[in-house]
Amino acid sequence: MKDQSINPSAPTGTVLNIQRYCSHDGPGIRTTVFLKGCSLRCKWCSNPESIRPKPELAYDPKLCTGKKECGLCLKSPFPEGAFYVVDGADDKIRVNWDLATDCDEATVSLCPTDALYMFGKEMTVEEVLTEVEKDASFYRNTGGGMTISGGEVMLQPDFAAACLQEAHNCGFNTAIETAGNVPWSFMEKVLPHVDTMLHDLKLMNSERHKKWTGVGNERILENFKKAYETFPDIDFIARTPLIPGVNEDEEHIRAVLEFIRPHKNVIDYELLPYHRFGTGKYEFLGMVYELSDFTTPSDESVHRLQAIIDEAFGRSKKD
Amino acid sequence: MKEIGHASFNRRLAINVGGGFVPGMNAVVMGAALSAGRLGWEIVGIRDGFDGLLYPDRYPDGGLVTLDPRWVENLDPAARGILGQSPRVDPFHVRKVNEDNMVEEVDLSDQIIEMLKADGIDGLISVVSGRGLSILYKLHRKGLNAVCIPRSVENDIVGTMVSFGFNSALSFAIEMLSRARQAAQSAHRIGVVEVQGEQAGWLALQAGIAVCADAVLIPEIPCDLDTVAARLKDKVTPRRPWGLVVVAEGAQFVDKPQVQSDKPSANSLKDSLSPLASGDASGHVIQRSGRTAETVANRLQLLTAEETYPLVLGSWVRGGPPTAVDRQLGLGYGAGAVQALKAGKNGVMVAFQQPPNIAFVPLAEAINKVRTVPADSEFMQIAKSLGICLGREL
Repeated sequence: MKDQSINPSAPTGTVLNIQRYCSHDGPGIRTTVFLKGCSLRCKWCSNPESIRPKPELAYDPKLCTGKKECGLCLKSPFPEGAFYVVDGADDKIRVNWDLATDCDEATVSLCPTDALYMFGKEMTVEEVLTEVEKDASFYRNTGGGMTISGGEVMLQPDFAAACLQEAHNCGFNTAIETAGNVPWSFMEKVLPHVDTMLHDLKLMNSERHKKWTGVGNERILENFKKAYETFPDIDFIARTPLIPGVNEDEEHIRAVLEFIRPHKNVIDYELLPYHRFGTGKYEFLGMVYELSDFTTPSDESVHRLQAIIDEAFGRSKKD
Repeated sequence: MKEIGHASFNRRLAINVGGGFVPGMNAVVMGAALSAGRLGWEIVGIRDGFDGLLYPDRYPDGGLVTLDPRWVENLDPAARGILGQSPRVDPFHVRKVNEDNMVEEVDLSDQIIEMLKADGIDGLISVVSGRGLSILYKLHRKGLNAVCIPRSVENDIVGTMVSFGFNSALSFAIEMLSRARQAAQSAHRIGVVEVQGEQAGWLALQAGIAVCADAVLIPEIPCDLDTVAARLKDKVTPRRPWGLVVVAEGAQFVDKPQVQSDKPSANSLKDSLSPLASGDASGHVIQRSGRTAETVANRLQLLTAEETYPLVLGSWVRGGPPTAVDRQLGLGYGAGAVQALKAGKNGVMVAFQQPPNIAFVPLAEAINKVRTVPADSEFMQIAKSLGICLGREL
């Protein structure tokens, strides 16, 4: 099998963002490192900027001062035809996303207002850890540490493993968030350096999984089962992004519980009610939000499904 | 000269249709096929955008359809397109599942050009929207002989006076506005109807004129809702206790009214059918598809103390039968595309600049522009003459 990992030699990784003071991506206060590249295409995805593996152009029209005041991007070295202005109410720049594909970081950095910018940049392990170490005192006081998320963290297995190992060397707790749709050999590289693995079980029915995410779930389930068995010391936390009309039903919740029940190192199962906060990002990237008609789940529905989980974990209510 | 079956051809063309449905697509296919047949050329249709070429195994009858004039002339030009469409028609970003079961987007543009060559196809006619023009332009720059036919229900493609599909959308919008007007009269309320038009207000303006709306709000004229409210206060009286406002989905506002941000749109079907028109990030393309009507209706109700109600036509305008104008346009555009290739033109868009005169506009001149309503447009003058408020004192 050919190596599909993005950075097989791992001197650097493509990092989307490093976010400090996170409290939902593992125990304690954490710094979350978001990597670029994803092997699923969930139709409700609220992080479209994490999907493509390489750094990519983004545009925030609110920051653009327009052709009259600036207009730099209408000239060389910006690619010909990549940017334009429409006669009308304003003279703000429009992006021809089909012709702007050759824009590199150096060119984009010429935009004086940062209306044009890049999502994602190459970083070394050392650069990532320098950022993560800034909050070392918080980690010590709260049991927190570093979480690597995505995109799909496992698509850069060598880089992710190196970062996690280095975090361990610094004494930080480590966690990852993964959807698990990668070859097992990728997971095998990363998991030895992980304390907590938050993993998505989006849909247990493979046909439906394929409909909503692009691929069936057989390998994902196989990977997770193997991970539970091969790495008994990792705390596994299952998660479901709860999407009305997709998986907001008892049948799915019970199927997940059935799947994780035999494995005592799966310490919790969390519901992540869908939100629409990410939809605007699609326009920053010139991407199409394929199905923007998802609604957020009702409180009643979340409570009803949460009660099933609490019962399965022997809790009278969610702590 | 090539021999295929009992016929002989000296040139082989292909035709396909980009994403975004408009009625009467068969008319374009017929126009191209009959015109090519007259020249002794063969033309094949690619099913579902480029899918018929890329994934022929998905089609029991083959991914390419030979458009024999003797068969094509029996088609109903008003019927649904025989070639189908693909929601995503971008050979530079084709989504596929790789051998490791991972989803990725790959560039198959070179492969498509090679496949067309291998099939002996030396010219491609594509019925596309504004974004499709850019994609065909890129393919043309890579060596593909491409001729585009403009298709837009908003009539916002530059270089042509009228895009295929606009007239059918306009007719439907007028019919729906007439009904909304009757409802407003009956209910003694002010109807606020949103129609398509992200950046160009042709549909709102022309339909609004046709039903003598009280106000028409289009993206080209940032509107002052205080002015609109003042005009409505004058017009809505006990003797005429109703009003009708037509608003393009991309209408701009001088005072930036607070558009709803976190609840589902007034017409969620609109969002699902027109996903590009959603979202809260764009300051200039569109504020909130399906929500502009709601925002304007709420604001006008506040300002006038008259009851308002929002309606959204949205993608309903894409359905139904084509109008007589679109039937003629489709046939004309199809035939025109073949004439372009006969004249040795490629990398062009067929255009009606002064119907029925056909012109060929280089794709480079058709992309990166939007055909907006000019301030001195005859339609603007007509609207003003009829007393229709255009959102601002002009």
